[in-house]
Amino acid sequence: MRSSAPPAGPAGLTLLALTAVAGIVLAVHGWTGRHSGLAPGALGTAASPASATTGPASPARTAAPAGPGRAGRRAGSRSAASPAPAGSSPAASPGPLLSAQPYASYSFKVWPGTPSSAARAALTGLTVRVRRQGPGITVTASVSGQPAPAPRFYKDGARVYIVEASLGDDSGNSDYSLGDDGLVVTNAQGRILR
Amino acid sequence: MSTGRKNPPARRAAATDVPAPAAPAPAGRAGELAAAWAPTAGRVLLGLVLAWFGYHELVQPGLWTGYVPLVAAGSALAAVAVLAHGWLLLVLAIALICGIATRVAAAAAVVLLAEIVISLIAVGGLSDLTMRDVGVLGLAVCLTGQHTQRLVLRR
Repeated sequence: MRSSAPPAGPAGLTLLALTAVAGIVLAVHGWTGRHSGLAPGALGTAASPASATTGPASPARTAAPAGPGRAGRRAGSRSAASPAPAGSSPAASPGPLLSAQPYASYSFKVWPGTPSSAARAALTGLTVRVRRQGPGITVTASVSGQPAPAPRFYKDGARVYIVEASLGDDSGNSDYSLGDDGLVVTNAQGRILR
Repeated sequence: MSTGRKNPPARRAAATDVPAPAAPAPAGRAGELAAAWAPTAGRVLLGLVLAWFGYHELVQPGLWTGYVPLVAAGSALAAVAVLAHGWLLLVLAIALICGIATRVAAAAAVVLLAEIVISLIAVGGLSDLTMRDVGVLGLAVCLTGQHTQRLVLRR
């Protein structure tokens, strides 16, 4: 079947109309679930108040992409204030296993240890600071170039993961979509702290 | 041509005198095949790209609102813009894949991709993401000038 400048016949128009209707159905589905998204966003918003600890801390460690660059994350982005760590207080009960979450494969360990190259890529546009403090660590996560929220305290043994569902929206020091980013803190057993 | 039918012996004689055209070389055949099918392949592949992005923008608009320029990513307006964008991408994708008004669909894709490239440049300057989309834009531009296509739905 070869055609020169194929027109849109009735069958083609019908197919396009069906596609348009299917697209509207999908759009309604997307609209109703637009706030659920990927778990990291929910984790950020579901964070319970944490006991913020301030004061001298050592040693300190900052996990952030190298280079000053421009502030990659766009101001006003949905998660601009939400990539805060999942809130936790020492008395908080641990949640489900991170490994059992659908975004487990997108989670990259930031602490303890040296972040892998994938973790560093996932950190694009974010600044995550982990500091040892007394019997635990404090974690601060913020969008690069934006004020960091108060640090949150977690018991010793906590692990910090950056979640990035798609690295395709990262470019240089920019992350064009924060909707697929998040931060997860687990206890030593890998359960998400809340 | 008709004289040959009336006088077969003469045609045979002529056939012996004039060397038959050489069979096209493999490279030539491959070139002909590419010329015949490459526009179709490009059209379908561009359609798949648009379909993938359109579908995901429709089902998970929250992941894409960060790309909407001048609008807060958490706003409802950004979500509506992403959904409308995804819907348009999906319709264009089906048109390209199924061969429905392909040049018109390609022209619309050019407009859409140009908007994407411009907004990416405005937001983050030239980047690998931007240049990748420039390549896709080029493919769409090529398809707008393609008069002949295979595997089209004309009915």
